[in-house]
Amino acid sequence: MNLAKNETKSAKKTKNKTTDSKTQNGFLKEIRKNYQLWLMILPGFLVILIFNYIPMYGLQLAFRRFVPTEGITGGEFVGMQYFNQFFDSRMFSTLMINTIRISATTMVVGFIAPVLLALLINQIKHKRAKSIMQTTVYLPHFISIVVMVGMLTVFLSPQSGILNHFADMLGFPRRDFLGSTRFFVPTYVISEIWQRAGWNSIIYLAALSNVDPQLYESARMDGANRWQLVRHVEIPSLVPTMIILFILNMGGILNAGFEKIFLMQNPLNLPVAEVISTYVYKIGIIQNQFSYATAIGLFNTLINFGFLLLANYISKKVAKTSLF
Amino acid sequence: MMTAIKKYFSKTSTADILFDFLVAVLSLMVFIIIAYPIYFVIIASVSDSRLVTRGLVTLFPRGFSLYGYEQIFQDTRIWIGYMNTMIYTIGGTFINLLVTLPAAYALSRKDMRGRNFLTFFFAFTMFFNGGIIPTYLLFRDLGLIDSRWVFVIPTALNVFNLIIARTFFEHSIPNSLYEAAELDGCTHFQFFLKVALPLSKALISVIGLYYLVQHWNNFFTGLIFIRDYSKQPLQIVLRDILISNQAFQGGAGAGGGDIGGYAQQYAEQIKYAVIIVSTLPILAVYPFLQKYFEKGVMIGSIKG
Amino acid sequence: MKKYILSSLLLSGLILTACNNNNNAATTDENGDEIVQLTGIFLAHPLTKDINDMQWLEDAEQAAGVDVNWETVTADWDQQIGPMLSAGDIPDIIVGPNAVTDAQHQQFKGMFVDFNQYLDQMPNVSALLGEKPVARDMATTLDGEIFGLSKYQRFWPESATKQYINQTWLDNLGLEVPTTWDELHEVLTAFRDNDANGSGDANDEIPFDYAPVGTGGFGFFHPTVLLASTGLTPVNGGGQGYFLEDGEVKNFFVDERYREFMVFMNSLYADQLLNPEVFTQEYVAFQSLGRGDGEYATVGYTYGWEAEDRFGTELADQYVSMPPLRVSDDYDADPSWSFDHYVLNYNTNMVQVSANTENIDAALRFTDQLYDEVTSMQILFGDLGTNIEDHGDGSYSVLPPEEETMDPGTWKWTSTWADNGPMYIRDDLDLELGVDMQATLEQLEPLEDTIDNIDRDNDVLPVSFLKYTTDDSNILSVNNAEIMNTAMTYFGQWVTEGGVEAQWDSYVEMMENSGLPENIEIMQEAYEQLGE
Repeated sequence: MNLAKNETKSAKKTKNKTTDSKTQNGFLKEIRKNYQLWLMILPGFLVILIFNYIPMYGLQLAFRRFVPTEGITGGEFVGMQYFNQFFDSRMFSTLMINTIRISATTMVVGFIAPVLLALLINQIKHKRAKSIMQTTVYLPHFISIVVMVGMLTVFLSPQSGILNHFADMLGFPRRDFLGSTRFFVPTYVISEIWQRAGWNSIIYLAALSNVDPQLYESARMDGANRWQLVRHVEIPSLVPTMIILFILNMGGILNAGFEKIFLMQNPLNLPVAEVISTYVYKIGIIQNQFSYATAIGLFNTLINFGFLLLANYISKKVAKTSLF
Repeated sequence: MMTAIKKYFSKTSTADILFDFLVAVLSLMVFIIIAYPIYFVIIASVSDSRLVTRGLVTLFPRGFSLYGYEQIFQDTRIWIGYMNTMIYTIGGTFINLLVTLPAAYALSRKDMRGRNFLTFFFAFTMFFNGGIIPTYLLFRDLGLIDSRWVFVIPTALNVFNLIIARTFFEHSIPNSLYEAAELDGCTHFQFFLKVALPLSKALISVIGLYYLVQHWNNFFTGLIFIRDYSKQPLQIVLRDILISNQAFQGGAGAGGGDIGGYAQQYAEQIKYAVIIVSTLPILAVYPFLQKYFEKGVMIGSIKG
Repeated sequence: MKKYILSSLLLSGLILTACNNNNNAATTDENGDEIVQLTGIFLAHPLTKDINDMQWLEDAEQAAGVDVNWETVTADWDQQIGPMLSAGDIPDIIVGPNAVTDAQHQQFKGMFVDFNQYLDQMPNVSALLGEKPVARDMATTLDGEIFGLSKYQRFWPESATKQYINQTWLDNLGLEVPTTWDELHEVLTAFRDNDANGSGDANDEIPFDYAPVGTGGFGFFHPTVLLASTGLTPVNGGGQGYFLEDGEVKNFFVDERYREFMVFMNSLYADQLLNPEVFTQEYVAFQSLGRGDGEYATVGYTYGWEAEDRFGTELADQYVSMPPLRVSDDYDADPSWSFDHYVLNYNTNMVQVSANTENIDAALRFTDQLYDEVTSMQILFGDLGTNIEDHGDGSYSVLPPEEETMDPGTWKWTSTWADNGPMYIRDDLDLELGVDMQATLEQLEPLEDTIDNIDRDNDVLPVSFLKYTTDDSNILSVNNAEIMNTAMTYFGQWVTEGGVEAQWDSYVEMMENSGLPENIEIMQEAYEQLGE
């Protein structure tokens, strides 16, 4: 639909060709017409085809009993057995709830924070200050997860942690942030945002740098103040990127970060900290249960992909922007 | 200086002054919240680990020692690692941009039929993959096991970056520009090279940075597909150094006997020092890219 | 003409190098015997030096007439092995503790040599399997094959965990070493209330600390040794709770005695006798607390491998190792202790040889050489001359580290394959151990009566050599993941908040619904099969 509309708008000359191309050999004609575009996409297409699509036959492991000597395609077909094994697990609902709670919170808060941060940085007039700020906010991205969790245990220690010292000074009770079901998710999410918001704001800063200066000028002439400039010029310019990133993020609804959660787990927060990926790891999948692991992975993927398609559909209807 | 301040107050409305003030306060807060833990990493990398883990190091290093850095740099493998990572990062990013940017441009053109299907074709692989075993078998058949190419070819295109780039082209290159170019008889190749790319420096910087860091941090490829240590990237070398020092902390569970005194006191430093050693080179690249975010490219003036 | 000469030179150079490569496979030693080229992977401890610098290894290769091209792996082996096996991309020989697991051997049958068929060529290996039934049981699959060889290292203690109390603190407060749970409670209370370490601050003492407990179960240096006071014998620190009593497999997580233990632990926590961060601290913090601040000790009662390792050289003298506690004076069961002998002295799947090896005889010759009496000793402690002194009369002693700052444990790990290597240390080998091993064995003494009383046949679950079918081991691990989730959650909750009395019945029911009875049945069957 989009396509047809655009054809009429941008390339009037080719209007009759468009109708032609609905016939059988339309594809060939399209290639002939836009062969340059097709050439440009070809290398990427091949890379993805070879390195991502060819190995996909491995997905059938989820439905087969893996017998290594007979290869991936040789095992006995067992249908949904491995899926059912997972669904029937008494842990299934707990795992789903925990996973979604952690990743959905991270997603929502983690989606807004970089936008706000980019807008804030963009307001800094002083050049040096702006550049220092930019460089600083993206540094946490390079801290490894092991160190991140190590720092959390140091900073959040009820006895000696700096955060509890502050809380104490301000008259709040000392909290065991890592050893409680109540604070686990907030701790995880906030530390995640601390670490990723700066890095994720880079793309928005780039988008802001590409705002047409004429827009600023004309808004200024209309007497807009700084706040209004942010609202009416800068935010709208970020929307297309935001929508695309939101759709992509929705496709990560079940991807709670394995390594960090695993390292943060302890018997006290386990009721809320056990997620699908950590649980799968504990079953000992890595060593020998390829089929079960593939099945759970595929289940994860399907849910994620479903959410992506949903977000894409809604966005297409509401904002007229979409992935595909 | 004074005149500048005077000028600021006389020329700026009250609302804008308040706005600037808010920006300053917020920025400062954000800066402290982010900068402190980074500073902590730095002081922890030169402090007595026992004091660090007990929360006794907060503002200044205590029990100063460069043990962590010594351990890292006395290992000669680290230079091989640096060199390999440089090769993979620079070569890889170059190939990435070569593959990604044209593809993104093509997908952004609304007159290309099948672009929705193609985007779907690409996006699908962000979710579905065949798993490690078929991938290993494929790489083996293609002769990529233990080959340096394994670091650059299979990852030549990152779909996330492709989509970001496509979105950017779609919304930042005005359609009118393309119409004008088409009237002049400009082909897609010409338009892409002469108009789209020069207008997309900010995008190229961002995508380039994303790829750069992706290559820089990649250690899984080396772990699974490389046997020959002389081809291993920095991250694998650093990981080995890190692990050999964590062995000091393994205690008797690791099999009896453990190191006393000096090394144990400082072994934890390595964790922090590794971050600094591996991040500094990337930090050096950033200012070069940053200038492209500073100010918008003058799309308007080109249009005029 | 010049060009021609140049290019033919280049060409011959190429051919030369090419031929050199080819010749490698058929080099001979000075006696004219053929040296067979092999490839190998060794799973090294991260501290281990370049294995090409190990003299004993060179000697062993020479003795077997082979030259092994080694690759060492120090981390993430579990991620590397999967694809390698699936692609059939394995070297001739793989060495390392449980390098290829039983489950993998089951799945990849035919990929590795079954040593059973070759035992007559392997006198040393045959000796190990013949003289040490445990080593044989560990190595043999349900169908009677031996794909991975086991090891025996003899000198290690029956238990890794020793319990220590600060004698200086006891003296300062005029107290005795506790002998029961109640006395422990009293002593810890005194530690809490007084300035036991004499620092002038009555609040810088942590009465009781133990190693961080993960979410996967119990291990060394955990308070499960207190649970052993009730008479049951945890294996390897407790693991997933399975233990043996009178030949019957049970799980302590649903045992009444565990319930008593939880009540006791909760009383300690509620009275602030436990380190408040015992659940959240990292292992490093646990270790570093034990070392106090150099001058004053911080921890009163805790667990460790060896005092100097746990408390540092300055404070080690303050601590004494103590015998197991009784529950109370009127509790009739004799206390037990964690039994770790098998896991510390034996391990399996240490060596496996690829079935596709071109010269299997050579690979087997080399493998057997590793089990030679003197080679085995050097595998464990290092080269003769630098690490071990040969007294010339058939007796040996382990030498102290060359560098003064290094401790004996690190010295061993740095110099040689150590515990990661295959070996058969003969029971009659006359070897004097290093000071670290002597110390840990000395500190085991207070526990020895108790450990000697343990009925190894009927009260120790031989977890490491129970063999399962692929299906059974899948059922076990799927069930265990669920069981441990419940068990560790309640462990944390009951210690910190109490409530064990009220929740016990519903908890046991939950555990049983998670497949615990099924697992016990499978393990019981595997245990009984072992006896046959």
